[in-house]
Amino acid sequence: MSKKVLVVDDDPDVRLFTVTVLEQHGYTPLEATNGEEGKQMIKDAAPDLVILDVLMPRESGVRLYREIKTDKKLRDLPVVILSGIAEKSFLRSQKALTEFGGEPVPEPECYLEKPVEAEDLIQAIQKILG
Amino acid sequence: MNRLLLIDDEPDILRVLSRSLRADGYEVLTAENGKEGLAVFQKERPAIILTDIKMPGMDGIEVLKAVKKKDEDAEVIIITGHGDIDNAIEALKYGASDFINKPIRDEALSLALKRAEEKIRIREQLREYTVNLEKKVEEATRELRRKTNFMAKLIRSSNDGIIATDNHFTVVLFNPSAERIFGYRAEEVVDRMPAKSIIPKEVIESFRDESTGDDQRAELPWQETTIPIKDGSRIPVRFAGTLLHEKDQVVGSVAFFQDLREIKRLEKEVVHVERLAAVGETVAGLAHGIKNILHGLKGGSYLVDIGIENENPDKLKTGWEMVQRNIGRTADLVLDMLNYAKEREPEYEACRPNEIVEDVASLVAEKAERNAVSISLELDPEVGEAVMDPRTIHRVMLNLASNAVDACIFDKNTGKQWQVRMTTARIGDDMVRFAVSDNGSGMSDEVKKTLFTSFYSTKGHRGTGLGLLVTRKLVEEHGGRIDVESTLDQGTTFTVHLPERPADDEFLEEDKPQFRGEEESK
Repeated sequence: MSKKVLVVDDDPDVRLFTVTVLEQHGYTPLEATNGEEGKQMIKDAAPDLVILDVLMPRESGVRLYREIKTDKKLRDLPVVILSGIAEKSFLRSQKALTEFGGEPVPEPECYLEKPVEAEDLIQAIQKILG
Repeated sequence: MNRLLLIDDEPDILRVLSRSLRADGYEVLTAENGKEGLAVFQKERPAIILTDIKMPGMDGIEVLKAVKKKDEDAEVIIITGHGDIDNAIEALKYGASDFINKPIRDEALSLALKRAEEKIRIREQLREYTVNLEKKVEEATRELRRKTNFMAKLIRSSNDGIIATDNHFTVVLFNPSAERIFGYRAEEVVDRMPAKSIIPKEVIESFRDESTGDDQRAELPWQETTIPIKDGSRIPVRFAGTLLHEKDQVVGSVAFFQDLREIKRLEKEVVHVERLAAVGETVAGLAHGIKNILHGLKGGSYLVDIGIENENPDKLKTGWEMVQRNIGRTADLVLDMLNYAKEREPEYEACRPNEIVEDVASLVAEKAERNAVSISLELDPEVGEAVMDPRTIHRVMLNLASNAVDACIFDKNTGKQWQVRMTTARIGDDMVRFAVSDNGSGMSDEVKKTLFTSFYSTKGHRGTGLGLLVTRKLVEEHGGRIDVESTLDQGTTFTVHLPERPADDEFLEEDKPQFRGEEESK
């Protein structure tokens, strides 16, 4: 049975592209358009990997990421961040949030900056899911 | 020390009298005849002379005349024989201060001396007063001259143009700065031109109003306006003025003008520089948006590749659409940036603002409907036709309307009946008010603060962050104003006031300065 990959992004073009890449390589894609929907989808469909955008309306990727990584049951769910935001800025924001009284969270399994080549994306996914 | 000269041809009298006078504390000089007496007077200049009237050779009257000739102020007391009233009167005529009769009684003598001394004292005092007074007048005059010079210099060198008029509003003073601002020379203006040919109507009128008002001390506070100058152009100035009163009468007026040309030019420059800086900031902020577009283009080409490879026309079509969509986003972004960075003069023409708003509504209708947002219009028929830039209205309203729809789409409260309302209203003769309200997500105070100042997008990948900056710039170039009211989770209202064609241009047509023709014929 093919592995399930959840794509959380508010941009339909990004979803369409990522979903196509996943299908081409034999994965089962799932889609969510914001953090809230994504959270629900994780509970309902139990994906093997999440590809997450950072800036989204209605519950951002930052928040969903922290929720996954501080949840005992979900902590091991691998997350690939795919964002227009530079990795440096994302890690800095995580550090700031931790200092602000939050629980420390591990770095994501993989961080990809948009625009991303299809090959780089699929390599990252294959490396994690094997 | 009181000195006196005693002249008598009788040595006995001379001896007895001088002894008694010395005993009274006088320093007494004596002479036995008129000639000798005059010589002593010449040398010693006593203040009081006592002289016998009847003397051989030069008599008392001649002594009196000679002394008075030399010193008007010398006090001469004539000693006359008993009953010699005619001589006494003659002596008084020539300026004798007193006369006493022989035989000389002490009381009469001392009274006459006292009177003479008193006269001398008063005269001296008077002289002192007079000298003092002259000095004081001179000092006051000098001070007055100094102050007048100072004032004249102040007025001459003032950077403000100063124009003073008499009570008929004829110009009586026109300083060099006024020459510089208005372009007239003082000689052309002073006593020749009524103030109304130079100073704009509204300024004069406000003066007139003041002069009929009850408040004697009413002054015109500083205000800004534009005024026509000699060459026919109009320049921006600040002015203030006051009526001059003397007692209860208006005796004239004075107005002060500050040339704002340089300031306005600098202000414009600053705005331009700020805008370029904002573009710079935006470029940094835009990196995110540009990355998203690039991502979309790559994604699209990937889909096109897959479509070709697998001979799948659906994929090919979707991919091609994606490429096209992202080309569109690129165009939007580039156009926004260009629009924001470059200056543009509004192109005024007669148009119907209500129809433009209807067009805009139909443009956003589809997107609104897709997202369960209803759009309503409330258009004031009074707006009718207006001389404005229709492109400005269109772009401003389209931007605000699509923002309003977005604010509803982004709203977390999905239980709401989302609404966007667009209204117009005529304000006075030459102003139209446009408003766009929504009941969407609203804005926090923090967001509101940065709203118009620099790059800011709350829309993630969808916004360029330039929309409101461009909107504000367009409104300001049109001489209008944009305001926002917003409450988080309640909604937002943007209000735009746009004037019809600004007053500047029409003024030139009907209010050329009167002296223009004369100038040209020279």
